Amino acid sequence: MASTGSNSSAPAAESVGDAHLALPVERGPGAAAPELVIGIGAYNNAATIGAIGGAVRESLRGSLAGLSSRVVLAEGGSNDGTPDLMREALGPDARLTQVSYPVHPMDLLQEVYHGLPGRAHARAAIFRTAHELGAAACVILDATASNLAPEWIARLAQPVLENSFDLVVPYYLRPPHEGALTRSILYPLFRSLYGVRIRQPLAADFACSSRLVDSFLALDHWPDEAGGAVDLWTTTTAVAGGYRVCEAALGTRRHEARDNTPDLSTVIVQVVGPAFGDLQQRAELWQRVRGSASVPVFGEAPSDGPGEPIDVARLVESFRLGYRELRDVWAAVLPPSAIIALKRLVASPDSSMQMDDELWARIVFDFAVGYRLRVLRSDHLLQSLAPLYLGWVASFLQQVRDATPQAVDERVDRLGAAFERQKPYLISRWRWPERFSS
Amino acid sequence: MPKPGSARDPLWYKDAIIYELHVKAFCDGNGDGMGDFAGLIQKLDYLQDLGVTCVWLLPFFPSPLRDDGYDIADYRNVHASYGTLDDFQTFLRAAHDRQMQVVIELVVNHTSDQHAWFQRARRAPAGAVERDYYVWSDTDQRYKDARIIFVDTERSNWTWDPEARQYYWHRFFSHQPDLNYDNPQVLEEVLSVMDYWLDMGVDGFRLDAVPYLVERDGTSCENLPETQEVIRKIRAHIDGHYANRMLLAEANQWPSDVRAYFGDGDECHMAYHFPLMPRLFMGLHLEDRHPITDILEQTPEIPETSQWALFLRNHDELTLEMVTDEERDYMYLAYSANPLAKLNVGIRRRLAPLMGNSRRRIELLTSILFSFPGTPVVYYGDEIGMGDNIYLGDRNGVRTPMQWTGDRNAGFSHAHPARLYSPVIVDPVNGYQAVNVEAQESDPASLLHWMKNMISLRKLFKVFGRGSIEFLKPANRKVLPYFRRYGDDIILCVANLSQFAQPVELDLSALDGYVPVEMFGYTEFPAIGELPYFLTLAPYGFYWFELQRARG
Repeated sequence: MASTGSNSSAPAAESVGDAHLALPVERGPGAAAPELVIGIGAYNNAATIGAIGGAVRESLRGSLAGLSSRVVLAEGGSNDGTPDLMREALGPDARLTQVSYPVHPMDLLQEVYHGLPGRAHARAAIFRTAHELGAAACVILDATASNLAPEWIARLAQPVLENSFDLVVPYYLRPPHEGALTRSILYPLFRSLYGVRIRQPLAADFACSSRLVDSFLALDHWPDEAGGAVDLWTTTTAVAGGYRVCEAALGTRRHEARDNTPDLSTVIVQVVGPAFGDLQQRAELWQRVRGSASVPVFGEAPSDGPGEPIDVARLVESFRLGYRELRDVWAAVLPPSAIIALKRLVASPDSSMQMDDELWARIVFDFAVGYRLRVLRSDHLLQSLAPLYLGWVASFLQQVRDATPQAVDERVDRLGAAFERQKPYLISRWRWPERFSS
Repeated sequence: MPKPGSARDPLWYKDAIIYELHVKAFCDGNGDGMGDFAGLIQKLDYLQDLGVTCVWLLPFFPSPLRDDGYDIADYRNVHASYGTLDDFQTFLRAAHDRQMQVVIELVVNHTSDQHAWFQRARRAPAGAVERDYYVWSDTDQRYKDARIIFVDTERSNWTWDPEARQYYWHRFFSHQPDLNYDNPQVLEEVLSVMDYWLDMGVDGFRLDAVPYLVERDGTSCENLPETQEVIRKIRAHIDGHYANRMLLAEANQWPSDVRAYFGDGDECHMAYHFPLMPRLFMGLHLEDRHPITDILEQTPEIPETSQWALFLRNHDELTLEMVTDEERDYMYLAYSANPLAKLNVGIRRRLAPLMGNSRRRIELLTSILFSFPGTPVVYYGDEIGMGDNIYLGDRNGVRTPMQWTGDRNAGFSHAHPARLYSPVIVDPVNGYQAVNVEAQESDPASLLHWMKNMISLRKLFKVFGRGSIEFLKPANRKVLPYFRRYGDDIILCVANLSQFAQPVELDLSALDGYVPVEMFGYTEFPAIGELPYFLTLAPYGFYWFELQRARG
């Protein structure tokens, strides 16, 4: 696929980073370019940064021993000792470069699902440092992970260093009740749009090649700071640019528990909003893509037992409440046939409530079209998607309650196929939104 | 280092949707009855929503307005009625913020007789450098082979100036003396004017009346090699100092003559395809594709970086200079039943009245405009089917206030109706109560929404702006089918020029196995085989198909 770049109205890449980055980062006298940069964006991550630093240290001493490397900490101005803890955890052997990135007051006011204010700035600062150091590969780690395993770092880096991949995205092991937003919307949407089956396109930990880093830095516009824009943008930009992408099977990932985690509707705004926004930027590209293909997976994902039982009845009730309260809002974007189908679902017993994949795909696509047409304020529109999403999650959990991880994957794969089958519906609605009948 | 423009792609004009408007006619921001930049800024969101990517402004410079601003009295300012230079710059920034380029009209063939250069020239002694800014003669017998363009008002291209005691040369109105490009200082002045606006950030110039820059005895004084040389110098100057800017030539000439204005890609980036426009109307009325295919087949290849500007209507009359006498007679009979509609060598009407207000005919011609090789230029108001007023003088009937709402003055101005620069259209069919933006925005089936969808769809496919064209010639001449190709994209367009349903059999066997996907509804049609591909088209119906390879 040809690169379409990005025309986002977000801040220019040149403005990302700060004065510290205007000066070239020195490799050191006589030092060769490192093969690997491990970059971590951090802002007041004292609770987790030590463990991450420790994992990096172990990794560099273990499976990555022998590689020349540099750890880059992009620091947003922590006041909880994050940099010192990092330095301490890395130990004396690791070479650490600390760069600062700007955190604007507005970034601090907004609760973001990933917990790192100014995430795009942090990422740009790391990329720029990796570029200036001339690193062959760059691994980005999320500072909020609470169980980062040392071998994950090598598993992310090796496909770039040894197999010439440009982007390595994580394939985490997730119990059925986790990662539902990715499974229900991001994965099938991304797959149907761009023809690439990446199970977790919203990559917080990933690795990329120097040429992909360079292409990121060459773009005029980076996504808005809000929410998950930059995480999804990273993957989309790589796929849209025709770069070689693969997955690295990792284990179960856990986050630091935070007090300020936003609620579901806010997360939908932050995660699904950028995905829908991206549709507008890349319409020329995705409307030409047909079908989809898997990407190579490196490593064997460890098997995990079934997840915790979830109170599906509560989800169903939220869906029903949403139907009662938001039906008129949904009617602004959904056709009558969808509203009737939802009405039938609302009336069905909890235990047999099954939202059809094709219906769910059309609902997501109709919301994407509504977002584009600005039928409602975008945040209101996306928030109104939350009960519908819970309805789909309830259906899904009832189907995979006792399923193995492989069976869950197969179920999600079927959903992705439904999104692909419904893609002509999206294209048709996108191109000619005025429809008398549907 | 060339100064960057607002566009990143040097070929941005190939993918553009250009919207032509007159500041005077678009929106009145200060309530004086005349449109202005303050009003235009208020309406930029509308243009962005419509999907246009480039705004072309008709002349907005200080002027006595004896030719609606094409008589420029000062190249470096804004007419007081339209605002100030600051207002223009605010507009320019606001347009760029919306990813819209801005092209301004620069009349470089002539000035107003009120321009300081002319006032200075007529007082300067014969032979002085100042006098030499214009074309003077002691006799009105030079350049006798040059035609008169405004035949309804002018009897000669020379006018006696009692102060200079010489005749001065003018290809248009007598108050518009032609600049003398044999004087190198004139070109220096013009380049300096261009620098002034390009430094400000404008993205290009429409060069008005560009074939007439230089005069030579024994010639028609049109399209002379010396004129091409002037344009080459202008282009070289711009390319040397600025990036991603564009020159659009207004050369109402035959395609073979207009070809020269592209040079070897070193003159104008774009030029209008004037002869195509009347033939679209003629083909529609005759229900015969021949006039359309014929003129495009006569159109020479142009350099890779060049582009045709295509239009259905503009601020002038539907010009019939580039047709044969018989074709002209046909056009008058077909499209100007009311003699008042005729002006000079053309018909002064807007698109909707020319189409008898038939929505299907408007859509058909617009679909051809958007799918033919070139960049479409949409004239303000045509996106809502605005009407005209042939009882107003000159071409003023197609330059009436934009119809925004059904409120007073069509929402164009808060002024007393008597203060408006022009009466609004009030007839019961095309009047502002019936035809306005507000009403059409609230009607999802309106022409305005249709235009938005068409513009949006065209923007998804670079093939329309950059691809080749190849006509098919099925037996039924009422049907106009053509391929557009660019890279891997193959688009098949089929248009029915008839008011009745038509069948057509197309030989698509070279594309055996491809699947036509109708582009508006993304509907798959039966795969192409070796047999003729049969289609039926509704009255004035058209299809655009993406030809996709069958899945393996």
